[in-house]
Amino acid sequence: MDFPLILNISMFLTLLILSSPILLPLLSKNYQNSPTTIMRTVKTSFMASLIPMILSIYSNMENTTFYWEWKFITNFKIPFSLKMDQYSLMFFPIALFVTWSILQFAVWYMASEPYTTKFSLFLLIFLIAMLILIIANNMFLLFIGWEGVGIMSFLLIGWWHGRAEANTAALQAVLYNRIGDIGLILCMAWLASSMNTWEIQQHSSTNQTPLLPLMGLILAATGKSAQFGLHPWLPAAMEGPTPVSALLHSSTMVVAGIFLLIRTHHMLCNNQIALTTCLCMGALSTLFAATCALTQNDIKKIIAFSTSSQLGLMMVTIGLNLPQLAFLHISTHAFFKAMLFLCSGSIIHSLNGEQDLRKMGGLQKLLPTTTSCLTIGNLALMGTPFLAGFYSKDLIIENLNMSYLNTWALLLTLIATSFTATYSLRMALLVQTNYTRIPSITPINENNPAITNPITRLALGSIMAGLLITSYIPPTKTPPMTMPLATKTTAIIITTLGIILALELSKLTHTLTTPKQNVALNFSNTLGYFNPLMHRLSSTKLLNNGQNIASHLIDLSWYKKMGPEGLATLQLKASKISTTLHTGLIKTYLGSFALSILTIILFTQN
Amino acid sequence: MTFLHLSFYSAFTLSSLGLAFHRMHLISALLCLESMMLSMYIALSMWPIQTQMTSSTLMPILMLAFSACEAGAGLAILVASTRTHGSDQLHNLNLLQC
Repeated sequence: MDFPLILNISMFLTLLILSSPILLPLLSKNYQNSPTTIMRTVKTSFMASLIPMILSIYSNMENTTFYWEWKFITNFKIPFSLKMDQYSLMFFPIALFVTWSILQFAVWYMASEPYTTKFSLFLLIFLIAMLILIIANNMFLLFIGWEGVGIMSFLLIGWWHGRAEANTAALQAVLYNRIGDIGLILCMAWLASSMNTWEIQQHSSTNQTPLLPLMGLILAATGKSAQFGLHPWLPAAMEGPTPVSALLHSSTMVVAGIFLLIRTHHMLCNNQIALTTCLCMGALSTLFAATCALTQNDIKKIIAFSTSSQLGLMMVTIGLNLPQLAFLHISTHAFFKAMLFLCSGSIIHSLNGEQDLRKMGGLQKLLPTTTSCLTIGNLALMGTPFLAGFYSKDLIIENLNMSYLNTWALLLTLIATSFTATYSLRMALLVQTNYTRIPSITPINENNPAITNPITRLALGSIMAGLLITSYIPPTKTPPMTMPLATKTTAIIITTLGIILALELSKLTHTLTTPKQNVALNFSNTLGYFNPLMHRLSSTKLLNNGQNIASHLIDLSWYKKMGPEGLATLQLKASKISTTLHTGLIKTYLGSFALSILTIILFTQN
Repeated sequence: MTFLHLSFYSAFTLSSLGLAFHRMHLISALLCLESMMLSMYIALSMWPIQTQMTSSTLMPILMLAFSACEAGAGLAILVASTRTHGSDQLHNLNLLQC
């Protein structure tokens, strides 16, 4: 059996099946796309992508295929080459599985929209761009995929473009991603000028890479993966429809930044400053996002902040020099996060567009399948033993505890883990339990298999994926095996503490205490005051300074302060002070002047 | 040459004494100030002739320019104080002071 040939052909087949809804209408005039056909295309592509994954697991093989070369200038060639290593071959089936479920859900969710085919096509184009990014072997193809996912994110967030907030959110996403792109282009320029190639495997991994391109890469990851500093676009991106949030902003697009750092890991691993930057920024983002999620009232925003927090955790793992573990967390996170978003979409449509947690309750008996899967998703997110999240999250926390690193980063990550448990439990309790707060007549109906099948499929994935992936992919770095009992059970202990905290706080809601505002509540609810500070304050200050320097400075300084008026005010001030001292006895002054001159002349004559 | 020195020393001294001991009008003090300037001008013009140093011929012209400014400032003060006090007589400059 010629394994490389079968690997290449099956990968090519996957990509061909995936791009068929775009290519076939160009070839024949009678072919019409519909959301169902696009969903079936992605399902077939998923089945086809299982072949290369199983082959690579069986034979432990990696492959790089080289199709065509763009002879740009004599010395600098850009080949069109695809890298099929464990990361890309593992990510393909996961991404396709999640997209298949989301497209099936979107058939029901967007059924009353006028342009559902265009929506499914946009999701498909997004998926193709993301897969180009994953499978790229050089920075040029990766950049094509990077920009592609950015553009599709803009188009999909602003899907309901009649709504002003959706347009603002889409623009915000593009602007923040652009700031990250500067870093990526900086790194590409440095690579082109000093290593004369954009191929990822030709970069030497033994030398010390200077700090500049690594900072560019970290900036790119900060922009795309919503780390602290460039994070506001991710909660604002919840303006898009729920399938968009499930695909882009939970599983696929936001992990592109982390994936870039995984791909270029050999450049990062020797530079301790870059690794420490990743570690501290990841720790800060995970804690900040978890703090903001504690007091949000919109169910989609809580899940968005949860995504942001998990992205910070992935960044921490990169900072620990463990790219394979970060990839494991990406894979398991995709399943339960997409499922959480789909459950929230089902709840939102069932309650006729209600997204506020304070108006839901007691839905466990009304929407049994959805709420059961919501519970499974929340438990997986918290890191419950032996569900999917456990295999990646617990390993990360064990490695954090047993590494030689910044204690502050460790503390922040542990606090964020307990907050994860708190807000997940808060969401689950407010949605499912206690007396219901929904209006009397709601179109609650989950009997449609288009709702239940994707959600249960993803629930199966959230339970099994961690076990399956860790059983078949051996780790490249030795994980710590022996540690004290307290260190081994740290993750579970702090998660339990978070759960106890949430249960205690939920008891307060039974006792009819009036909510008081305090500093911590305001800080958490307004997202740390970051949005008004950065968006309003910095732009008004900048524009004010610009106006001052450009138009006011010349007139004000030359005419008023330094010119005639300034001189006049100076003299006026001096004469006002000394006017009380003058007595006006002119004759006496002049007489004493003459007398003293005479005396001096007489004294100096010898 | 000593006669020349005597003449402008005495012109200068008489003008300064006139500046110090004038009686009635402020403008007579300003006039004596002008005559001091005049005598200094003549003295400065004598200097390059006596020391045969033609590069300092510029000096009296400079002094003349500054004395013109000073005369202008003095006249402005005169006009301003006359406008407020009514006349330029000296004894009513501090008449209304407590």
